Formats: sequence, structure tokens, C-alpha cells
Amino acid sequence: MHRRRSQLTIAAVAFVLGLLVVIQLRSQAGDPGLAQLSAQDLTVLVANLNDRNDQLRQEGSSLERELSTLTANRSRGDVSVDEITADLERVRAYAGLDAVAGPGVTISFSGPIDGHGVEELINELRNAGAEAISVGGTRVVSGVVVSGPAGSVAVSGTTLPAGFELQAIGAPDKLTGSLTRSGGVIAQLAATQSKLVVTVTPVDRLELPATQRTLVPAHGRPRL
Amino acid sequence: MVSVAGRLRAIPSWQVTLGVALLALGFLIAAQLASEGPRVRYTTQERSPLLQTANELQAEQDSLKQRILDLRDQIQSVETQGEGAAETVRQLNAQLQQARVSAGLIALTGTGIVIQLEDSRRPVPPDGSEADYLVGSHDIRTVVEELWGAGAEAVAVNGERITTTTAIIDVGTSLLVNSAYLTPPYQVTALGAPDLYDKLSASPGFVDLVRARGEGYGIQISLAEPDSVDVPAFVGTVTLRYSRPLPSPSAGPSVLPSGSTSP
Repeated sequence: MHRRRSQLTIAAVAFVLGLLVVIQLRSQAGDPGLAQLSAQDLTVLVANLNDRNDQLRQEGSSLERELSTLTANRSRGDVSVDEITADLERVRAYAGLDAVAGPGVTISFSGPIDGHGVEELINELRNAGAEAISVGGTRVVSGVVVSGPAGSVAVSGTTLPAGFELQAIGAPDKLTGSLTRSGGVIAQLAATQSKLVVTVTPVDRLELPATQRTLVPAHGRPRL
Repeated sequence: MVSVAGRLRAIPSWQVTLGVALLALGFLIAAQLASEGPRVRYTTQERSPLLQTANELQAEQDSLKQRILDLRDQIQSVETQGEGAAETVRQLNAQLQQARVSAGLIALTGTGIVIQLEDSRRPVPPDGSEADYLVGSHDIRTVVEELWGAGAEAVAVNGERITTTTAIIDVGTSLLVNSAYLTPPYQVTALGAPDLYDKLSASPGFVDLVRARGEGYGIQISLAEPDSVDVPAFVGTVTLRYSRPLPSPSAGPSVLPSGSTSP
């Protein structure tokens, strides 16, 4: 009788123990989602999500207008050459297939900058809403990588001459502010390379060339 | 000493087992409470409205993206319905499709590889920095750059297509790609020639990454070469607000006859 009760007790304790181990492990693994972010990070996230959602809403509205024009044309028996042409121009400009002009910034360097540093600047320009970027006169589109040590920076394998510049089209004040803020990308580059001076100049009008690359994949086909 | 050993032996074994089990139980309860304490305190402060907003915005982003995908499908189908109408329209639509593929607006499937990056499981040494043991935007950007360098033709990170306007930045211990919030493990999917795997594994930059981050800090980097990979379409704005297209001498669209639409 005594033996039996002790076994029951041990069984009960073992059960609770097992349960707790599982709970503990689960809560340790945690969800890697939003719950782990600090209030500061959440603020950054909310700001980013707001911006993106605004853009998505605008894009949705313009697509809706496009669709209704196309549908109206079609019901009248008209061919929508103008609409399709406008769509084509828009997409080609975005992809970098056509040359574009607009306001933006020119970034020049004095002192050693390597390919990695240029990539950091490009990432920050994109984050600040740059619409088109070129480095040393080559349009930076998907697939273009800036690499190499200081003194022989190359764009997709082609070495750039000394004194090359980075150009980006977008809101000049936003691009400048984002690059030059304290603790920002330029401050970080200067911290690792004391001889480097990065100068950002707002410009009213820049012309960026079209890419020479073929951007249609040879090894992929549209997924239906 | 002898008497102590004697008394120990006298204790029934079940009591010892129970004692040990209860001890472990106590530890676990304490650990559980300790690990929950700060988190509960955290969420009840100013974070919770932010957390709720962020969650709502994420849900909104998902539905906005879906709406854009639907609208694009409808537009594409209306545009191509006029196909029989004129040779001009046929050509325009073919060009538009190529441009959309080039811009990353079309989901693709083909040969390729998947690289997965996960946070380190090693304990952070007392003098170490926790960030070094987590996958950061730097790591993902390096992988993406190395993939482009190795000849990848399309790349996506956790379902976000990398386009010409994509920024990859840190937010806390997670990432924002195209302003979408991504958490580890990160899967970088790349479409490319069948030798993409070999080219990437032979690239000095990628070897450095594996050595420095993988061997150095225990970041888990793995490569897979499935039969085929899928990369999703970029869902976002392609409307440029500051850039105007310049007429280029070789451009197809600008030489098309105008005035063939409604009066």
C-alpha cells in the first residue's frame, strides 16, 4: 500500500515536471516575431510600415484607375495603345532599361573607399527612397554589384577610374539627410576609415543612363 | 562518516527520487517565473499600443499586396485581350511583358539554389556582443551580392523579391526588406544557371562569409540545390515620383505611332 502511494506521487511529480520542461522550452524558443522588439525598434518598424503601406495604397489606386480606363476603352471597342505605352515607360524606367532624369544627389569621395563602402551607401540611398542610382556612369540595377578594395573599385567586374562618383535620383533633402545623419552610414564609414571624406551634394537635375544589361533571366520562366 | 552513510542507506529510494524530482521542479518553476517576469513588464508599458499598431499595419500590408497582385492580373488580362486587334498592340504587350520580367514584377521558376542563414546557437561569451551571434542585414546583403556576382538572375529573401530599389536594413534583431518585417531563419532563394552553386561556393567573398560568420560565430549557413526554385514577384510601387524617362535613340516605345487610341 505504502509502495503504491509512493509510485503514484512520483508519477504525478514526473508529469508536472515534464509539463514544465515543455512550457519552459517553448517560451525560451519564443516567437521571433514582434514581441522581442524594443519600443524604439517598434517605432522604426511602424514608421517603415506606414511609408510602405502608403506607397502600396497609391500603387493600388493608380492600378485601379489604369484598369478602369483599359476596361472602358475596351467596352468602346478602342485599343489602349496610350495606356499600354504609359505602363511600358513606367516599368522600363523603374527597371533601369531607360535613361531617366530628375533631382537628386551626387556623392564624391576623397580618400580610400572600397566596393563594400559603396554598397553600404547604395543600400542607404535605397532606404531613403532613391529611384535610380548610378556609380561611375553605370546604372545600378538588380544584379549589379560594386566590389573590390580601395583604389580598384569595380562595377560588375569593370574597374572604375579614380574620382568616380555616385549619383542618385530622389528627394534631395531626404537622401542627403539620411546619408549624413549622426551615426548614419557616412559617419560609420568615416569611423572605420579616417582618411575618407564623403561629400553629398544636392543637385536639381541629374541624368542617369539606361543599363546595358539584359535583365530577362535565361534560366527562369514566368510562374503561372 | 560511517554513521552518515548508514543513515543515507536507510532512506527508501523512492524518497530520494522524489526529493531530486522536487528539487528539479523548484528550479524549473523559478526559471519559468524569472523568464516571464521581464517580458510581462515590457509589454504592459508603452510598447503594447505600438505592438498592436505594428501588427495591424503588417496585416494591412498583406492585404494591400494581395490587392495589387489581383489588379496586376486583371490589367494584364485586359491588355492582352486586345491582342487580335493590331500588330502594334501585340508588340507593345510583348515588350511590356519583357519589361515586367526585367523589373521583377513577375514570379519566376527555374533552376537555382537556396541559402539558409540562422542565428548562432553558441552561448555569447561575457565579453562578446550578442549582435555578432545573430544574422544581420550585413550578412544577408553579402549573400545577395555574392549571388549576383556568381551570376544569379533573380533573388528573393523570405518571399521578398530583391529589385533595383530594395534596401535591406536591421530592425532590432530582425530585418526589413522592401519594408517588410522578416524574422530568422532567412532563406535566400536565387534563380540562375545550373553552375550557380559551384560558382557561389568557389567565390572568395562567400568563403570569407562562411569562415568569419559561420566558423567564427556559429551563424548557421546552409546551401540547398532543389530541382527548381520559385522566386515571387515584387509587390510594391514602380511609379517614379522624381524621375522622368528620357527618350533614348534605340527605345522601342517612343517610335510607336501615336493617335491610334480613342480620339
